[in-house]
Amino acid sequence: MNFIGISLTHKTASIEVREALHLSKEESSELILRLKENIFSSGFVLSTCNRTEIFGFPKDGKFDFQPVLKTLLDFKHVENLKPENFVKYFSCSAVKHIFKVASGIDSLIIGDSQILGQTKDAFQLSEDLEFTDSVTKRIFDTSIKVGKLSIRETLIGEGAVTISFAAVQVVGKIFSSLENKSALVIGAGETGELAATHLRDKGIQRLSIANRTFDRAEKLAKKLNANVIEFDKLKDKLNEFDIVFSATSAEGFILEYDDIKLNMKKRKGQPICLMDIALPRDINSKASQLDNVFYHDIDSLNIIVNQNLQKRQSEIPKVEKIILSEMISFFSWYNTLDIVPTIKAIREFFEEIGNDELEKIKYKLSSDGFEKVEDMTHRLLGRLLHNPTMRLRQIAEKGTDPNEVASMSVLVKELFDLNSESHEKETK
Amino acid sequence: MLTQIHSLNILLPFLYFVTFAVYFLDFTKELKFFNRSKRIALFASISTHLFYLALRTFEFQHPPITSKFEIFSILAFAIGFSFFLLELISEVHKTGVFVIGISVFFQVLSTIFILDNYEVKEVLRNNLLGLHVISALLGYAGFTVSAVYGILFTIMYKQIKRNKFGKIFVQLPSLELLEKLSFYSVIIGFLLLTFAISIGIIWLPQAFSDFTYLDPKLISTTIVWLIFGTGILTKLVGNWYGKKVIKFFLIGYALTILSMFLANVILPSFHSFY
Repeated sequence: MNFIGISLTHKTASIEVREALHLSKEESSELILRLKENIFSSGFVLSTCNRTEIFGFPKDGKFDFQPVLKTLLDFKHVENLKPENFVKYFSCSAVKHIFKVASGIDSLIIGDSQILGQTKDAFQLSEDLEFTDSVTKRIFDTSIKVGKLSIRETLIGEGAVTISFAAVQVVGKIFSSLENKSALVIGAGETGELAATHLRDKGIQRLSIANRTFDRAEKLAKKLNANVIEFDKLKDKLNEFDIVFSATSAEGFILEYDDIKLNMKKRKGQPICLMDIALPRDINSKASQLDNVFYHDIDSLNIIVNQNLQKRQSEIPKVEKIILSEMISFFSWYNTLDIVPTIKAIREFFEEIGNDELEKIKYKLSSDGFEKVEDMTHRLLGRLLHNPTMRLRQIAEKGTDPNEVASMSVLVKELFDLNSESHEKETK
Repeated sequence: MLTQIHSLNILLPFLYFVTFAVYFLDFTKELKFFNRSKRIALFASISTHLFYLALRTFEFQHPPITSKFEIFSILAFAIGFSFFLLELISEVHKTGVFVIGISVFFQVLSTIFILDNYEVKEVLRNNLLGLHVISALLGYAGFTVSAVYGILFTIMYKQIKRNKFGKIFVQLPSLELLEKLSFYSVIIGFLLLTFAISIGIIWLPQAFSDFTYLDPKLISTTIVWLIFGTGILTKLVGNWYGKKVIKFFLIGYALTILSMFLANVILPSFHSFY
């Protein structure tokens, strides 16, 4: 199988190199057109923040990676690239690598759920640009199947693996539902936005944003359909919230122990979650000593993240089992491709003979009689060819010895003197 | 019929133990098989138990409330049945191992020591007494289930506070839900106990010539009723939350056990039948 590919990932290159080589959708499309014109008959280009991968079937059938690399580097002009930044794959290893990528076990964060969608998009782009054939389509479909099976049948995607999501997970262990709860996010930066988005996704009833720069808070609030609270009035309104996420870059504490104590009095002891996801911290950790105050900072939330990452790591063998099973299935199918033209040729050969003989008696019989003979001929041919067809497929599907498949194919062609040129393998 | 009763008496602890084991494995292993099987196992246990209690009533011509060990069997059933209903109507699916263990304990004791009581005091054949005792037992089963959820709440509360995110954290439901379950179990227990007391107030003075309102069992039951009534009121009217209300119910449950022990074992009572 002359399928080859190059891959640059977080394992082989620094973030600067990965960023420099990253391809937008438009760039991927343009690169595909260049590859299609000069190198590959079919294939795909996948580019995310952690990887850039180019795979395909070379038009000349050679395992030569240099033209692929040259096309990519001519296209992106990235300096300081070293050969070791790229891993080269071919044949079986190339297919296996794509399956691993789609399953998420090759990702920076194991079990990353985004990669399957990104892989689907890359495959879709190839289809849109007519850069596919039956084999690449099969690779695409199986990759997506592997990704879905990994999510469904293993725990590879389970548990929070980011601080914000871990914080939301802890909140879920304090309150049974967020649908009747109110949350305040202090800080409208990237972390604050992520936390607010998670809370919104979990169905929080009332979401408010507070930020030193009011405009920034307003902008985020608009994006997430939230309210804005003036930063100076934060402490006065704290008692209105069941959940507080703080993610500012302030140097000192925004909320002191006494602020929380006073707040708990106003809340008449109703539980409150304080998620301090800022560094340096925004809330005095002494607040955790108060009853019904659940205070967590980055360190404590990191415990959950690490536990979940370990759990995901332990799921890798299960995902690899799925990959192996799908590889066996894929190559069983692929091996049948060698025999398909032979089967087609032999069937055509017999049908031709049948049709010739039918033609000879067509005008010697009544139309009813001819129909009966015609039916009988087709049935007879079907029964005669059933066993040889099935046997040939079985030999191909075993896939243990490609020479056996080839010699069987030659033998059949020799026996029936089939025109080899017209029955060359069409799909390869 | 007696052979069937004896066979079921031996079978029941095994059934409860298997149910307990399935709930335990579901809690620890997270396999779909155990998740699907646990409720079937519990249903099989309580159905068999109900059949066993019906057979006893029919064979011995009295409700199964004539000895401590018949009472234990009813208690095992009441706890299992309460949890079955609770699991059916709530989102709680991983707490069975903590509740069913109590049913196993009571049923094992009952199976070992229970006797075939054909000859019992006439008063114990009274249906009103049966209703009175069974509703009181169901009430106490409610308080027991509430205490289990109260303990789970306390464990979970401490785990979250101390940043321990192990099996308990992952498997148990939220603190809010545990608090709700504990509270609802108390309400159900309180209503059933109120019903039992009402029957007692009407029927006891007629049934016993030596009846007195100063009887230790009556006083202890009234104390239990007052403790849980106050707890419910403070939660509903005084807006008590979380740890405070759970602590109140747990102390209430401990006092219940203590007062029941004093009234039933230490102090003499007209109200004692065994």
